[in-house]
Amino acid sequence: MRPLDPASPYFVDFPGRVRALQGEMARAGIDVYLGSRLRTLSWTLDVFCPWRSFVVVPAEGPPAAFTFVIDAARVADETWIPEDRVFGFAPMGGQDQIELIAEFIKDLLKGRKGRVGIESGMSNYLPEGNLTHYEFERFRDALAGNVLVNAHDLVDRLSLVKDPGTIARFREASRIVDVGHAAVFDALRDGGWKGLTETEIAGLAALAMRREGSEWEWSFTGGNEIASGYRTGFTGGACTPASRRKLEAGEPLMVDIHAMFRLGLGDHSHNYLIAPATGRQAWHARNFTDIVALTLETYRAGISPSELAERMIGFAESRGFADDMVPGFEHGIGMMGDEWRIGMNDGPFPYWTNPDHRYRKGELLICAMQYACPEEAIGFRYENPIVILDDGCEPLSKFPLGVEVIS
Amino acid sequence: MSPLQYLTEEWRSEAERRLKAELTPERMNHITSSMSNVYLDCPDGTAKYLLFRFADGVLTEFALGTGEPPEAEFLITGSYDVFAQISRAELGAQKALMTGKLKLKGNMIKALKLAAIADRLNKVLAGIPAAY
Repeated sequence: MRPLDPASPYFVDFPGRVRALQGEMARAGIDVYLGSRLRTLSWTLDVFCPWRSFVVVPAEGPPAAFTFVIDAARVADETWIPEDRVFGFAPMGGQDQIELIAEFIKDLLKGRKGRVGIESGMSNYLPEGNLTHYEFERFRDALAGNVLVNAHDLVDRLSLVKDPGTIARFREASRIVDVGHAAVFDALRDGGWKGLTETEIAGLAALAMRREGSEWEWSFTGGNEIASGYRTGFTGGACTPASRRKLEAGEPLMVDIHAMFRLGLGDHSHNYLIAPATGRQAWHARNFTDIVALTLETYRAGISPSELAERMIGFAESRGFADDMVPGFEHGIGMMGDEWRIGMNDGPFPYWTNPDHRYRKGELLICAMQYACPEEAIGFRYENPIVILDDGCEPLSKFPLGVEVIS
Repeated sequence: MSPLQYLTEEWRSEAERRLKAELTPERMNHITSSMSNVYLDCPDGTAKYLLFRFADGVLTEFALGTGEPPEAEFLITGSYDVFAQISRAELGAQKALMTGKLKLKGNMIKALKLAAIADRLNKVLAGIPAAY
C-alpha cells in the first residue's frame, strides 16, 4: 500500500473520488459498482492494471481490487487502498474471477437483492475493458436475483474535469516527452540521421524518457510512433507504429512519442524534413505550423469540436490546403486507459465523441491534427495534451512548434 | 436572378452551368469519381437523386431523377430538408455526416480525400438563388 501524500504536487484525493462515486451511485439507486474499464481502475485505484482487473465499489467504505494473481501483490504494493482489499484471482475452486467477485458482492449486499452497476459499451480503444458478453452472462448467473445495469456514465461524468494533481502528473509526463524530443533532435542533427531507422528513433526517445522517469511509452499504437517518407502521409492516417524503414534524404519525418508519469500521459508529436527540402515541402510545412498555431489559439471553454473543425477547415480552404487536412482536431485523454472519446456518451453515434460537446474549464484533451498529402508522400502530425481554460488553453508540452530541416 | 425552385430541371441546369464554370479540373484535383445524393421526403412526397460524375476533374454527367439512383462510387442519403440546409449554407456537409443527418455509403478512406472537394461543390450550389 502506498500512502497518499497531500503535500505532493501530484496528490489526487482518491478517497474523495470514491466518495463522489458513491454519492452518484446512491442517486442512481446502485448498491455496488463493478468497474472493469482500465480508465476506471486507474481513476479509482491509482495503479496501472495491465491484466484483466476489476474494482468493486461498495455503497460506502473503500473499494476492493481484483486482478490476475500473478500481479496482485504488485498492485497491492502500489495502490492507495489497504492490502486486504486487493485480491488475486486464479483458476482454482472459489477463486476464479466470477465466483470470487460475485461472492464478494453478495457479502456486501448482506443477502438482499440489489442493483449492480457494470461497465458496458464499445470503444475504438482496444484495451478499454468493458465487460465482455461472456463475463456479463457469468456475473448475471452468479448474481441471480440482482439487477445488472450499465453505469459507466457515473465515472465518466466525475472524471471529465481534471483536478490539479492529475494535471500536474500530465504536465510532468509532458516535460519528460520534451526531453525525449530533445534527445531525438540531438541524434538527428549534423548528419546523425544517416543510417537511422524508425525503430531506432523510437528506442532512443524511449531511453531518454525512461532516464527522466517515464514508466513506459504507454500508447497501444506500438509505443512511440515514428514515420518517415511516404508513411507520414497516409490518407486520414494518424497511427504509425515505428517500422524498420531507414531515413532518407529529402523525406519528411514524424516523431510522435509517449511517456507516462503516475498514470498521467505525455503525448507530443514533432516533425522534420531531412535536407534537402524542396520549396513545395516547405509550403506544406508552413501550412501545417500555421494551422496548429491557429488551432491552439482557438481552443477555449465553450467551443465544440465541430465548431473548431469548421473554423480550421475554413482556414485551410482559404490557404489552399483543405485537401491535405484530416478534418479532426482532438481526441480525449485521462489517466491511463482513458483515451479517445471526449466528454459523455451523449452524441449522435454511441460511444463516439459528441461533435457538439461544449468544452469546460479544466477538461484535458489531446489537440491532435494530421496533415496528409499521400500524392506527394508527405504528412505531419501534431499532438499535445492541452488544458481547457476560460479564455484559451494551456499546451502541456513546451517543445517549440516547428518543422526543422535537418541536414 | 429570381429564385429557382430547388431540385427542378431549371435549378439543375443552372447548377450544371455554375459547376462547369467555377470548378476547374485543377480545383477538382482531377478526380475521377461519382456521387449520388438521394433526397428523401421531398415536398412532393417522392425521393429524388442528383448524380455527379467526374472524369479527370471534368463534370461529365449531372443528372436529376426520381426513384432508384444510378450506380455511383458514393451514395449520400438524407432528407430533403437536410440537403436544403446544406444548399443554403446553414449546415456543413461534414457536420451533417458527423451528426448522422446524412448517411454515406462508399470507401471512407477515399471519401476523406474528397471531403474538401465536396465542400467546394456544395459552396457552388449554395450560390444559386433557390426556393425550397
